[in-house]
Amino acid sequence: MPDTADILRLESLQVHFPIQRGLFDRVLGRPAGAVRAVDGIDLNIGRGEIVALVGESGSGKTTVGRVITKLAQPTGGRLLFEGRNMTAERGSSALRPYRHRVQMIFQDAYQALNPRHTVFDIVAEPLRSLRLVDNVTQLAERVSKALAAAGLNPAGDFFSRFPHELSGGQRQRVVIAGALAVKPELIIADEPVSMLDVSIRAQILQVLVDLRDKHNMALLFITHDLPLAWLIADRIAVLYLGKLVEIGSADEITFNPRHPYTVALRNATPQIGGNAGRAVLPALQGEVPSAARVPKGCRFHPRCPLTFDRCKKEEPPPIEVGPQHLSACWLAK
Amino acid sequence: MSESIVQYYPRSRTRAIKAFLGQFLGHGGARLGLLCLVFFVAVAAVPTFLVGPLQTAINATGDFLMPPSGEHLLGTDEVGRDVLNLVVHGARISLVIALLATVISLVVGTTIGMTAGYYGGRVDVWLMRLTDFFFVMPSFVLALVITPVVLEVMGRGGEILGFRPSLFVIIVVIGMTSWAFVARIVRSQTLSLKERTFIDRARVVGSSNSSIMVRHILPNLVPQIAANGALVVAGAIYVETSLSFLGLGDPLQPSWGTLLSLAQRAGAASAGAWWYLAAPGVCVLSVSLSFVLIGNALDDTFNPRRRVIP
Ligand SMILES: Nc1ncnc2c1ncn2[C@@H]1O[C@H](COP(=O)(O)OP(=O)(O)O)[C@@H](O)[C@H]1O
Ligand code: SF4
Ligand SMILES: [Mg+2]
Repeated sequence: MPDTADILRLESLQVHFPIQRGLFDRVLGRPAGAVRAVDGIDLNIGRGEIVALVGESGSGKTTVGRVITKLAQPTGGRLLFEGRNMTAERGSSALRPYRHRVQMIFQDAYQALNPRHTVFDIVAEPLRSLRLVDNVTQLAERVSKALAAAGLNPAGDFFSRFPHELSGGQRQRVVIAGALAVKPELIIADEPVSMLDVSIRAQILQVLVDLRDKHNMALLFITHDLPLAWLIADRIAVLYLGKLVEIGSADEITFNPRHPYTVALRNATPQIGGNAGRAVLPALQGEVPSAARVPKGCRFHPRCPLTFDRCKKEEPPPIEVGPQHLSACWLAK
Repeated sequence: MSESIVQYYPRSRTRAIKAFLGQFLGHGGARLGLLCLVFFVAVAAVPTFLVGPLQTAINATGDFLMPPSGEHLLGTDEVGRDVLNLVVHGARISLVIALLATVISLVVGTTIGMTAGYYGGRVDVWLMRLTDFFFVMPSFVLALVITPVVLEVMGRGGEILGFRPSLFVIIVVIGMTSWAFVARIVRSQTLSLKERTFIDRARVVGSSNSSIMVRHILPNLVPQIAANGALVVAGAIYVETSLSFLGLGDPLQPSWGTLLSLAQRAGAASAGAWWYLAAPGVCVLSVSLSFVLIGNALDDTFNPRRRVIP
């Protein structure tokens, strides 16, 4: 079970991408807009904990992952790793200790692998660049172990293969092997199985769960699939247009959702839909608005079946609705 | 895709190279170009063995401006030198100039283009200004500036690896005027490569900027560099010819370009001495055409989508 000390904390994390203004807008003095991809998120991940970040496409999930892995710079808020402020750290050598402990698994494994590198070079890259091995024997040993742990057996058979010679599932295993080769304490997995055949998904998920169970690695599991999140995670955080609308234990979020958006998400999935929730709501109307034009007040109000006056004017704060269960809705109380 | 089927894929680098060669040599143009090049390289390798030492006005073996005959297969020039002898020795000079200039051009162009594209921002702006400056600068202007500098650095006398310093002036001038083309191509390719996910992964696993450039970007640039490198060689041969017309060639080590300009100055055209012009002219054309053919075939092999144009 996860212990209490947090390994990672996000405090009011914000990532706004500036929108290029045309000459016309500049002459007219129109203000520069921004895509509010991530718009103030508080989230903590405990040691050995699996947290799922759930949201529709465009809700800002990948951007959160990119901030944590230092691929994107936040425009506001803080990123704390074991209490240490990592927000402004940059440069490959300064980040080396952090990279050693935080790794990432990508949605599209084919894109994440350099087509001109062999499997051995791919898995060896983190060990070499983070200077975790002293000689080639050690290197080969750790690469073999990592490949085996990711389910590629016998590991030696894969050393000299190129990514295009592997199946989709094998490629994702190579990415995972690279990430776990350095024995990190936190892995960010951005929709790691969404591009894989259903038949292979369970095996890949098993590899990830094993990492936690055997090595106490924490996992931020990013997905758009609520049942999948429930299956793998201890806690679920629901993201809508760059903001967390609900967070709580996996069971609470799945079987006792308190935010109308979560309820709608759950109702949209037949496996766990039904009447278990507090309210039975009609299916979601309309599209997710663009992150460049976030609605005033509660950002969910244009699509919410329960909207009332206050929702259009004031943004609801996260309200405690149960133990460790927060919902950002005026009706939560 | 089933995992068991995938086990039977070819896996070695040699297979990949064989497949590449098969496709590359499938182009008629590539075969013709390679054949022609092999011929010229063989000739350039052993000129003295083929036609004896380079002839000068002193050891010339024939009469002035004699048409081709059994004794002088390609006739003679205005001081009685055997044109075949000159052209064969010229092959070595011309090829060395073109290849070394291309090396300079590719090294400088790739470094600057990759740095500009990878770092972006102000680095990009300034490097591209520099590139544009060299892009529009005519080679003869650069030659005027560089000649005294190179001669000062290398000294006028003596030889370096069997070549006189004035040859290096030409090499440097051609290299410096052709890298901008390479830099632009490399930069645009780098801009798209650096957005690829495998660069993100490289960063996450701790690779430094320099190692990302060398280990991730550069290998993926090789096809572009190879295909355009062949075109740079072709261009270098032409530039060398035009620089020789400006008097930059070295009469003691004549290249094909130098021979053409000598022929022109000796009035070969008006005297009807077509052989004197045709011999080096055909050589220049066929070698540069070979490189263009090879470059296009490489481009085609690396870029299957381009095959729309036959
Ligand atoms: N580099 C960027 N520049 C501008 N907008 C971006 C950039 N990256 C993401 N966005 C925008 O931010 C929002 C969130 O994107 P993303 O984090 O990829 O969402 P998700 O992973 O949940 O689908 C989207 O509207 C997307 O268009
Ligand atoms: S605050 Fe209002 S609009 Fe927002 S989710 Fe709650 S009821 Fe719906
Ligand atoms: Mg995403």
